[in-house]
Amino acid sequence: MEELIKTFHIDYKILIAQVVNFTIVLFVLYKFAYGPLLKAMNDRTKKIEKGLKDAEEVGKKLQETEDREKEVLTNAKREAQSIIESAEKTALKNKEDLLEEAKKKSEEIVDNTRKQLEEEKKKMLSEIKSEVADLVVAATGKVIDEKMDDKKDKEIIERSIKS
Amino acid sequence: MTEGDSNQIKHETTIFAEPIFEVGGFTITNSLLNSWLAVIIIILFLVAASRKIKKVPRGVQNIFEFLLESALDFADSITRDRKKTIKLLPICLTLFLFILVNNYLGLLPFIGSIGFVESAHGENVFIPMFRGGTADLNTTLALALFSVAAIHIFGVFAVGFWNYINRFINIKAFLEIPKKFKEDKNIVLVNPIKSFVSIIEIIGEAAKVASLSLRLFGNIFAGEVLIASIMAIFAFFTPIPFMFLEIIVGLVQALVFSILVLVFMSMSTSAEEH
Repeated sequence: MEELIKTFHIDYKILIAQVVNFTIVLFVLYKFAYGPLLKAMNDRTKKIEKGLKDAEEVGKKLQETEDREKEVLTNAKREAQSIIESAEKTALKNKEDLLEEAKKKSEEIVDNTRKQLEEEKKKMLSEIKSEVADLVVAATGKVIDEKMDDKKDKEIIERSIKS
Repeated sequence: MTEGDSNQIKHETTIFAEPIFEVGGFTITNSLLNSWLAVIIIILFLVAASRKIKKVPRGVQNIFEFLLESALDFADSITRDRKKTIKLLPICLTLFLFILVNNYLGLLPFIGSIGFVESAHGENVFIPMFRGGTADLNTTLALALFSVAAIHIFGVFAVGFWNYINRFINIKAFLEIPKKFKEDKNIVLVNPIKSFVSIIEIIGEAAKVASLSLRLFGNIFAGEVLIASIMAIFAFFTPIPFMFLEIIVGLVQALVFSILVLVFMSMSTSAEEH
């Protein structure tokens, strides 16, 4: 061992000096080159990965939005169609109702008029009858010149008319 | 270097780093000087590279990110866990950078050629101002010790002190004997062997330090000797192919050192016993 040290001039001070040299290089490499470079590379990798993921998500969302848009549009169309249909139906119904009512009313009016006319006719007839009776009474009174009392008279006349 | 010159200067490649000067009892060798140079170069490079780190990468940052990503992927193939890789990689990256820069600094033309002449024992010896940092066992031994210490520290933090210590001094194996004796009589024989095997692991740890440091030192030092020898044959052109060879060796050795440390670390931090 001693011979080895003598042959190669091994000096612990120089050994330590070389270790210090190496440590300095190690420190500088780690602090200034390895660490920052690795960090920059890792950061970039993460950023790119995130960007790709985000892009994918945005695409998905866009697709979703488009789908929803389409759905909303079709719904709206369908609804509009149904609204129009129902409006048409109600309009038709209204029209029928109105017509029917008008018909009913006019019928009513016609009925009323007819009834009135009939009543008037009846009234006229009875008036005429009574007038005729009076006339007959007057005429027969004048003819026979004999006047019974009014009561009897009328009785006779009425009997004669009825018979 | 003419023969017979009275002022002959001897060029020799020593197996150790030569001392240049002393500061308060602290001997500064040419390899240490070179390592400091390497440290300054790496720090300047890293700080310059890190100043423009932005979220949106531009220009050079792309290259660095590509390199770091490749290093992470490669380390993943060893650790099989990205979280672990992120924890362990800084030490391995630093080892790789430090060793690589030191190896290549040893190859530069002014390294090893600028120096002074010292007279000792009636001989004039040329002493270079700089010597490749990893061509000194002190440097490689320091790196190996640091790495092995880091391996054990990571191991203790990953699996807990009790579990980790039992990999080397297997007390658990003995404690298990009375519990499992009824089920399996063989355990009386098996578990002492287990515990003996774990003692071998301690030797393995020492071997790790030796193999890591000596492999790197041997390769780089051999390269220096090789180039010096070729230069001695003919100084122009002939060393060029060997220079390229040394460039490859420098890269390979830096890679081997850091990958081995990563493998050891990933083994020491994995939960299962081996």
